[in-house]
Parts: sequence; structure tokens; C-alpha cells
Amino acid sequence: MSTPSSRAQQLRLREHQIFLILTIVIGVVAGLAAVLFTVAIEQTSHRLFGLAPSRVRLFVVPPLMSLVTGLMLAKLFPDVRGSGVPQTEAAYHLSNGIIRARVPFGKFMTGVLCIGSGHSMGREGPSVQIGAGLASLVGQWLRLSPRRVRDLVPVGAAGALAAAFNTPVAAVLFALEEIIGDMNAALLGSTVVASVAAVIVERSILGNEPLFHVPAYHLVHPAELIAYAALGILGGMVSLLFCKGLLGLRRLFLRLPGSTKNFEPAFGGLVIGVVLMYWPQIIGVRYEYVDQALNGGLLLQTMVALCFLKLAATMVSYASGNAGGIFAPSLYIGAMAGGAVGMVVHALAPFPTADPGAYALVGMGTLFAGIIRAPMTSVFMIFEITQDYQILVALMVANMLSFAISKRYQPVPVYHALLHQDGVHLPSPATQALTAARTARHVMQTDVSLIPPDVSVEQAWRLTLENGAPAYLVGTRDRLMGSVSHQQLEDSKNSGQGATPVGSIVDQSFVHAHVDHPIDVVLERFAQSGGILAVVSRTDAHRVEGVVTIDSILKLAGRRSPSPESHPTAAG
Amino acid sequence: MNSSNRANNTDERSNLIHREILQLVLLITVAVAAFFVTRAIAANNRDMSLRDAAEWYQRGQRELDAGDADTAIDFFRRATVKSRNEKRYVLALARALASKRQDEAARKALLGLRESAPEDPDINLQLARLAADRQDVTEAIRYYHNALYAPWPTDQADARRRARLELIRVLLTHDQRNRAMSELVALSTDLPDEAARHVEVGQLFSSAGDSGRALDQFQRALRLAPDSGAALASAGQAAFQAGDYLLARRYLRNAPEDVGSVTETRELVDLVLSNDPLAARIGSSARRRRLIDDLSYAEERLNSCVESHPGGQPSADELALRDEAQAFKTQLAPSTLLEEDTIESVVELIDRIERDVVQSCPSPTPRDRALILIGQHHGVDPR
Repeated sequence: MSTPSSRAQQLRLREHQIFLILTIVIGVVAGLAAVLFTVAIEQTSHRLFGLAPSRVRLFVVPPLMSLVTGLMLAKLFPDVRGSGVPQTEAAYHLSNGIIRARVPFGKFMTGVLCIGSGHSMGREGPSVQIGAGLASLVGQWLRLSPRRVRDLVPVGAAGALAAAFNTPVAAVLFALEEIIGDMNAALLGSTVVASVAAVIVERSILGNEPLFHVPAYHLVHPAELIAYAALGILGGMVSLLFCKGLLGLRRLFLRLPGSTKNFEPAFGGLVIGVVLMYWPQIIGVRYEYVDQALNGGLLLQTMVALCFLKLAATMVSYASGNAGGIFAPSLYIGAMAGGAVGMVVHALAPFPTADPGAYALVGMGTLFAGIIRAPMTSVFMIFEITQDYQILVALMVANMLSFAISKRYQPVPVYHALLHQDGVHLPSPATQALTAARTARHVMQTDVSLIPPDVSVEQAWRLTLENGAPAYLVGTRDRLMGSVSHQQLEDSKNSGQGATPVGSIVDQSFVHAHVDHPIDVVLERFAQSGGILAVVSRTDAHRVEGVVTIDSILKLAGRRSPSPESHPTAAG
Repeated sequence: MNSSNRANNTDERSNLIHREILQLVLLITVAVAAFFVTRAIAANNRDMSLRDAAEWYQRGQRELDAGDADTAIDFFRRATVKSRNEKRYVLALARALASKRQDEAARKALLGLRESAPEDPDINLQLARLAADRQDVTEAIRYYHNALYAPWPTDQADARRRARLELIRVLLTHDQRNRAMSELVALSTDLPDEAARHVEVGQLFSSAGDSGRALDQFQRALRLAPDSGAALASAGQAAFQAGDYLLARRYLRNAPEDVGSVTETRELVDLVLSNDPLAARIGSSARRRRLIDDLSYAEERLNSCVESHPGGQPSADELALRDEAQAFKTQLAPSTLLEEDTIESVVELIDRIERDVVQSCPSPTPRDRALILIGQHHGVDPR
């Protein structure tokens, strides 16, 4: 007869077994979703464009379909614009893995329509969000603990990516490197299981074909590494151009009035329609052109043109708020850039070189490392996509250079920067590691008083004078506008702006912290803040959760100061 | 109290796990159903892709027939994208690329296809042709052999023979005579009863320098088609090359004049046969007359050749040849007995004079060539 403790042990074991089975099932479900997503995009594209579309059709389809998807994205599925990877990361880090049911289904529909109607976007990012969303839904339906639901998000993401790219190892690395942000995560086993299950499903349905057919390339001459390094540098620069361009263009779209949100995707569609009339090669995913570049089937001028057109088209499609990813475009742009470099090197180098296709292959990884900022995933993805490891050294050299350049001039990775634009700030790995230590939560005051933005400068100046505080926050608790210092108010008052609302002189690029920021970060930022540091929500940077002032810091110091009991000499 | 709490917790947890198992079973059932639905949809999608591929292929063929290889390449590429492993499409693409001299792209397309079917004769044959075009004989031979020794369908024996013929031509073009001979011997044992095939193989034997085997093939052809002009002309040429001038004359007399160099060879054969002093079944006076005529002609050619030199002065060798000719002329007088040694020495002298003439003076006459052939035929050693 079993004792309660041995029975509890058995149940715990059973729980682990159930979780293992669940990861397999989620791998299968995510794999099926990714396959269905791919097939649905192909079918939609075929139905919308036919076999050989006319120029009129190429021009008309993207904006018309984007009108429909624009409404869907604005009214029904506001959380599914863009790639889906940043949203998945946010769900994992900030919402305990809770993803609403409308997200995966909305992403599926809008993704199919956007990519199928010719937008220059990829299917892999959306697959990640769909897979993660389904995994989260399953976890919620099974009423798993919040930690388990959270754990299922990267599992679903890995499964979907593995099936979308037919790359099980890269999918695991991506889940660890990008979604979780920790290569040593305890979820390694679960993501591997889900990836394998998803790939088995994908291969049993679509066959075991690599995404690209590539001849066996290898390093022909040691001096070629110099050429690959040059490609890495160029790849880093193109990655920067893409990231900066995408973020800048998206910032412009975000500044447009809310009433235009329904039509912004259609505007993007219009631009894409015009481009497609003359360059249909950039329509949708179009991996066949990547394949041609990998096999030396494109001319130099064609590759240069396609590189920049794809780059611009992807920026427009993404920034205008359509649903689709940047994985595939980054591979496409990289293949074209690499192929072009390869052709030049092949023609001019004084030493024997590999075919331009080898450079296209390395170029793919280079852009992926520079844009997505997941260098390990990039190396393994190229290896798995092409099933060719001969070029690995060159790939690593070029990837690292591209990654370093991109990181130096665009310190915030593009996915995180996109979240920042939406007011979402993910915790850094260091912050995550320090969650148990003292954080902003311990020092901030939650009783926050803000100056309403419509109060005049004169009134605000009097208020700060009476209270003696060096600075104040302006706005409401749910809509922080920024901060203003006493000196600022005095200067404005003296320059005859006493009657103007304080909201108009506020510094909107205010320094802020989040509740989980460690105390040293809080102090550092407080020093930059001018006397008041807002503590804002990670999911909405305009929502105030607390405030750090000199008083609250002194209070914390007082709490931490040695007590008389523990230091008898001081007492005495 | 604690132990009863723990027991309650355990029961609660147990119930939860049982519920989870039920939900999991339901989930698995849904996943299995979804798998079959997705597979059906994917199969439908694949069929659509295959239809599109077939359409692009047909459009490509039409463009190729219309002479627009660039557009055909684009269409064939689209076909191969939609149906990556369809051999017909890749081969068509490779051929179109090769026709535009884009050999490297064609090669890569074929190598990609070969990965999935390394023993396919068509793919190997195309690769061999591309290698031959870029003068890479080693690779060409490798791919030709891969093609030849691949499992061909039984109804494609003729295609296989044609592949071997191609290989032989490549080998002969690149002076690989011994290898070509091996392939030719193998091919000659595998020929169907068609005169044209025997003629073709015979001509290749001739090109490889084996006139005997060539003649054998032409004679086989003539047994199958006695009136074949090509076979007669080729047999005549082969017999001529083999030194069987009587047989050559027999074939060449019946060969149509418009085939190859029949007239020229026939004239040469007639000259050889009518001027050969060592010919069998001729009388001694006829033999003497031929010797005198040939020697006189050779001497005359030598003199005219010397006159054409700048300054008109003969070299020491030419003076020696003239002196020898004068000496033999007296020995050939009708009053003297014509000995076997003398005949052979005169033939040898005529051969030497003619070789000198041919070497130092341009435009040898048919008779010059005939006299040299006579010397060769009788084993005169040119010193």
C-alpha cells in the first residue's frame, strides 16, 4: 500500500510525463499549422494572381486585398500586425505566456491574405506567432499552471519554425536565443521534442526536400576568407540600412492620425503594386529567386536591383502595418547581396574563388545574423536549409562581422526596437537574472501625483515652488507625457509662456525605469532624470506604475542602514 | 491533521491529472484529424503545382520551337520550381541553357537533379555533353560511362548506342584513339541489322585509323543494302586506305560520283593500278615499260621542281637522285635483262624522287601521289 508521499511522487512523475506528451502534441499541432499556413499562402497567391498575371492584376491585387486586411487588422486583430516574433517574446516575458485565442487565428488569416496578395514579407515569423499562440491556448485550456503555460510558448514557436523552414536544430536555437533569450534555458529538451515532432509532421506531408537546392560549395582558396569578410561587412551595412529604414518608416506611419490606421496597409499595398508591375520577382516569399542566386542563375545587375527592391518593398509592407515576417526577406536580400559580391569577386579576384552561389549562400546567413541578430541560429539555419556544411567557416566569419557591425550601430535588436515603438520594453537578460535582488519595485512610491497637461506653466511653476520638488511628471496615470523641471517651468514663465499649457513644453523623451530594473540601474537613471524618475509598465511605456524621488531613495537607504541590534557598538 | 491535508491535496492533484489525460486524449484526436485534413489540402496544393509546372513546360517548349530560348529558359525554370524533381523539365532547362551557352547554369541544374537520380542515363548524358563542350574529356568520359552503364529501359537500346557513338566521337576529337577503338569494338558487336548503322561505325573505324575493321563494317552494310551509295563509297575508301586497290576500284566504280571524294580516289586507284611495276599478272615488257614511264615521269618532275627553285640550282641530294636515275635508265634498256633486284631498286628510287618532289615543290599531281602509294604498298622504306 502506497503512502501519501510516494503517491505524490508518482503524481509528480505522471505530471512530467503528461508535459512531455503535451510538448509532442504541441509540436505536431504547430507543425500542422505551419504547413497549412504555407499551403494556404500558395493557394491564395495562385488564386489571386493566376499562372502568369498581367501588369494590371499585379498592380490591383495588393492594394485591394490590403484594404480588406487593413480593416481586419484594425478592427478584429490588432495584435497580429508585422512579424509576430516580437509579440511572442512579449507574451513570454511579460504576460506569463498568455496569448488570446484571436491571435493565432487572426495571424493565420491576415498573414495568408497579406503574403498571398503579394506583400514582400515572410511566412516564418507569423508561423512562430501562430505556433506559440496555439501552444498557449492548449496550455490555458488544460488549465496548466502559469509557469507551464509560459513554458509552452517557446515550445510552440520552435515547432512552428522547425516546420516552416524544415530546420529543427535552428528552430530550437531560435527559441532559446531569441524568444527565451537564454541559450542555457531549462526548456531545451521540450523545444527539441516539439521541433522534431513538427519536422516529422512537415516531412510526412510535404516530403523531405531541402528549402533550397545548392551545389556543394567550399572554400576554394584561403584568401577567399578576405572576400567573405568583406561580404560580412557589406552584409552588416545592408542589415543596418534595413533595420534603420524599417524603424524610421514605421515611426512615420505610427505618427499618422488614428483614423488612417484602416488604410495604411492599403497604402503599402499600392506601393507594392507599382513595384510588382515592373519587378514581379519580389512578390511574396519567392524563394525560387533565392534558389537561382544560389545556383548562379542571375545576372549581377538583376541581383543588385532585387536586393534593394526587396529591401525597400519589405520596409514598406512591414511599416505600413501588414501581417508578415522579415525572416524570408532577410534571406532573400542576403542571397542577392552575396551573389552580387560573389560575381564581382569571381571576376576580379587574383586567386581562384568559389562560384557566386557560395557567396549568395553566405550572404543569406550574413543578413540573417545582422537583421534578426541570432548568429547561432543563422549558422545552423543555413546549414540545415542547404544541407551543406562545407562553407561553414566562411559563413561564421561573415556572420560575426555582420552581427558586430549591426550591434555596434543599432544596439537594440530590431524585434525589440519594434516593441519599443509600441511602448513595450522587454527585460534584458541581466534584468531577468536579477529579479530576485532589490529592484525599482523596492524603492518606488506608488502614490504618484502628476501635473495634468492642460494646467498652465504659471500654475505648474507655483506648484513646484510650493512643494520644493525639483521636477514633476506631466500627464495622467495611464497616459504619461513626460517630465518637466522647476527650472524649465521658470524659464518658460520668464519667456512669456506663463499661460501656455504645461503639456506643450514637456520633455517627451523622458528617462524611465521598469519595476524589475535592479537598484543600480534605477540609481543611474535617476541621476540622469533631473530629480524624478518615472517607473512605467513594460507593456505600455506611458502607464505609470510608480515614481522614484530623492525621498524614496533616502527611505530605502534608511531601511537598509544598520539596525542598533545588529551593531551594538553603534547603539552604545 | 497534516497527513489528512496532504492526502486531500494528493487526491485533488490526482483528479486534475485524470482530467488532463482526458483533455490530452481529445487533443491528440483533434491533432490526428487535423493531420489528415492538412495532408489532403497539401496533396491538392501539390497537384496544383504539378499542373502549373506542366503548363510552364509546354509554354517553354513552344518558345523554344519559336526560337526564343531566353523566354523558354524562364518558363522552364518556373516549371522546375513548381516540380523540382521532374526530370523532363530540368533536362529541357539544361538544353535551353546550353543552347544559350550558359553551360555552368545548365550543369548546376543537372547536378541538382542527379543528386536524386545518380544513375539516370539522360542526366548523365547531358552532363557528359556539357563536359565535352567545355573540353573536359575526363569528366565527359566519366559521365558517358555513367550513362552507358546505367540501367536503360529495354526499348532504348538505340539511344544507348547513340550515346556510345557520341562518346567515340568525343574520344576521336581529343586523340584518344585507343579508348575510341575499345568503344568501337564494343559497339560493333551490338549493332542492329541496319546498313546505315554499319556505315556509321565503319566511318568511325576509318577515323580511328583501323581500315580493316572499317571495311568489314562497310561490307556488312553492303550485304544488307548492296546498292547503298554511301556503303559503296565508304567501302571503296576503306579498301583504298587498306591498300587493297583492286577491291577499292570495284567498289568505287559502282559508287555514285557525288558521294565524298569518290571521283578523286577512283582516279588515284586507277593510276596506282595502271602504273604499278610490281603488279601481279603483268608481263615483263609491260613491267619494263611501267618502270621506264614512272622513272621518266619522276625525273621530269624532279627537273621541273629544281627549275622552280630560286636560282634554279639543284641540291646535292637532287644531283645524286638525277645521277641514280640516269644510271638506272641504261639498266632498263630493252636489251638488258630485267632482274628482280633492279626492279625493286628502281621502285625505291622512284619513291625517293617523288617524296623529294612532294616535299620541296608545291601542288603534287595525282600521279605523284600514286607513285608514292605504289612505294608504300610494296613496303619501300623511305630513307
